Amino acid sequence: MDINMQRRSQVEIIQLRGPLRMGAAVNEFRQALDNSLSNGDTRIVLDLAEVPMIDSSGIGVLMKSLASARQRGGNIKLVNPSKFAVQTLRMVGLLNLFEVFTDADAAVSSFA
Amino acid sequence: MSDPMPPTPAPGRDHQGLRRQLNLAIPADAEHIANATDAVLACLASLKVEEEKSMAIGLAVQEALANAVTHGCQNDPSKTIQCEVSADEQGHVLIVVADPGPGFNYSAPPKPVVQDVYNDHGRGVFLIRQLMDEVSFERGGSVIQMWKY
Repeated sequence: MDINMQRRSQVEIIQLRGPLRMGAAVNEFRQALDNSLSNGDTRIVLDLAEVPMIDSSGIGVLMKSLASARQRGGNIKLVNPSKFAVQTLRMVGLLNLFEVFTDADAAVSSFA
Repeated sequence: MSDPMPPTPAPGRDHQGLRRQLNLAIPADAEHIANATDAVLACLASLKVEEEKSMAIGLAVQEALANAVTHGCQNDPSKTIQCEVSADEQGHVLIVVADPGPGFNYSAPPKPVVQDVYNDHGRGVFLIRQLMDEVSFERGGSVIQMWKY
């Protein structure tokens, strides 16, 4: 799992590359989100364009972090989730909890 | 220790030519799950299973292996999980995952309940049931058989 992080207009953009599955990938993902949230960076854009698969442990980290961000007045917004990631989130009834954007700029602007 | 893997079901009228394509023995360690799933995906690619179907099977395998590691083996890497892939002449795919544990409560609710949306666990079996066409458990839940047609 490659994780690329950048900051724009007080929004943390986290770009993931590779399947988000139990093991090293989910551990690294959890660490990245925990670091952002503990630094007070609760406005997060998650670029999922290159994440072909998300398993339930990845979804678990995502939902726990979403709750944490929202409790502190922030949010997690998704950019370009792959077709299968969208299907998976829809299957577990969670897709409608997220704002989904087609590019990171629009997602960042939506926090303004 | 007895073999945790039941024999691959005999090909019946509905599954003529059912043949085992892959048989993996995996240490019960979360770090090994992704590699095992990738091996299953590679096997499905060699069988020319279409991508959408293959992704669904791959995610179901991932979830079944995660359950086996976490619940069946309590993350004890000295224990071994077996994963079998079989396919019949019609392209139907059978996955069997077996662990040496005592089983677990696999009776997932039909739909995740609304108040649990922020939970960080408890979606695995539900996803498997959504992704696969036929799912059954044996030996109290320590063996799962999953068909994708």
